[in-house]
Amino acid sequence: MLLIVLSLVSFLPVFFLFVFSGGNAAMAMPALVGAIVLTLAFIGLFAAQSVYFYKHWFRFQDMFVASPVSPISYTLGLSLSTLFSSAPSVLIALAILLYSRPVGIVPILGILGVSAILWLAMVFAGFAIGASTKNTRRANSVPQVLGFVIGFLPPVYYPLSILPPSIQPFALLIPSTHAAQLGKYYFGLLDLAPTEVLFGWVYLIVFTIVMAIIVSKKARWVDP
Amino acid sequence: MSPNLATNPQVSHVSLPAAVDVVRVEGLGKTYPKGTEALKGVSFAIDEGEVFCLLGRNGAGKTTLLRILATQLRPTTGRATVLDHDVLREPKAIRPFISVVPQEARPQMMLSAWDHIRLMCMIRGMSKEDALARTKTMMEEFDLWEHKDKLTADLSGGLRQRVLLAMALIADPKVLFLDEPTIGLDPLGRRQVWAMIRRLTAKGVTVLLTTHYMDEAEKLSDRLAIIDRGQLAFLGTVEEAKAMAGTGMKVIVEPLKANGDDRQVLEPKSNTEILEIVQRSLNDGRRVTFQPPTLEDAFIKIVGGSIEE
Repeated sequence: MLLIVLSLVSFLPVFFLFVFSGGNAAMAMPALVGAIVLTLAFIGLFAAQSVYFYKHWFRFQDMFVASPVSPISYTLGLSLSTLFSSAPSVLIALAILLYSRPVGIVPILGILGVSAILWLAMVFAGFAIGASTKNTRRANSVPQVLGFVIGFLPPVYYPLSILPPSIQPFALLIPSTHAAQLGKYYFGLLDLAPTEVLFGWVYLIVFTIVMAIIVSKKARWVDP
Repeated sequence: MSPNLATNPQVSHVSLPAAVDVVRVEGLGKTYPKGTEALKGVSFAIDEGEVFCLLGRNGAGKTTLLRILATQLRPTTGRATVLDHDVLREPKAIRPFISVVPQEARPQMMLSAWDHIRLMCMIRGMSKEDALARTKTMMEEFDLWEHKDKLTADLSGGLRQRVLLAMALIADPKVLFLDEPTIGLDPLGRRQVWAMIRRLTAKGVTVLLTTHYMDEAEKLSDRLAIIDRGQLAFLGTVEEAKAMAGTGMKVIVEPLKANGDDRQVLEPKSNTEILEIVQRSLNDGRRVTFQPPTLEDAFIKIVGGSIEE
């Protein structure tokens, strides 16, 4: 229940954008897409805390290692449980979006696809952070700082075009920018060239692979 | 009984027989990636149903050794087997038959004792019905039933430790690894854990526990290993430790109205010397009391310092 409430935090900027734009739905709709993308990204990133606390605080990971539990099932359990807790808020946002802007199944699958791949990349990042830190303060603060960097700083809630042209390439280095751009594109809120769509997907996939490689180096089931 | 084998001069050098021991450690060494040498050539074997204590100062290598045997940590040199399976090459063959309660493990404060045990049952692969039945059995066995709906935040340290032990024991392990199981518990809580360990060994469970409490090792262990700076300093029973360290009866001589100023603690080498001290003290009108040797005395003699150092 607590995680469900926390997952709603990513919708606060949508609320503020809607209120401060005087009820302007043109501002709120792209922000709602950004919120869907980021809800999953945040919840994935905060796997760092679960990994850290289960290993170093509760020490349950040691109990699981010395049992028939496999590292794959442990990893899947920790990461997929975050999806369950974030599902209600994502579904509510999706329902509002579809009510305001009815679209077909492909755009829905598109936004869920980019959100899922960003979530996977952030789960990997979260596991890498959680496995490599032995400090409670760091396990709590690093995901928060990264959440700010991938969530509130880049053009996820707001359009990329608002940023000065010289800043835009830097914003495109952040994977959540691509996920949000693709999400807005699938809902017809933004025009993208096919090459830009392809580049966005490739960027997200490559980023996810890089995160997977990092986590395979950092996270260990049996300590070396 | 397994042989008292070690690579240290205080223990005799013998070859391990071919018999299958529950735990068997041969020349085990561990150097951590950053270069810390935590274990050096440790060898011993543990029989079925034994309570085997690893005793040593903080940082002596006890937890490292326990974690290697519990398949949580890779050794650098040597070999260790649990239930005749190599911990490095066949961990999957070992894991269904062992359980561990790690040092300073703690339950989640926002979950109840019931939640913890039921979740562990399900994580261990039990069906929903089996998990419910097993949880009830474990809670009754560990006297936790009356606390089943309380959050663990509202339980005492002893009850929380019982929750962890119940979690570890849901799968009826053949070997139980306990890392400092009574640290931070009050005397009553410690005794409850000791009683629980004794009940387990009566069922044939082999228990390997680390501790730096001398009284715990003295009361619980069938045999003990003293680990000092990563090396096996002693292997045997408590009585053998006392005998090997050469500690005898202490004689305390003090004035009848003891004020602590004129108190002598003597360690006579023979019965004749004891009699002489008693005779002399009685003639001087002083009180004589006897203090039998403790494991702590033996420990100090063996490792050359106290446990707190």
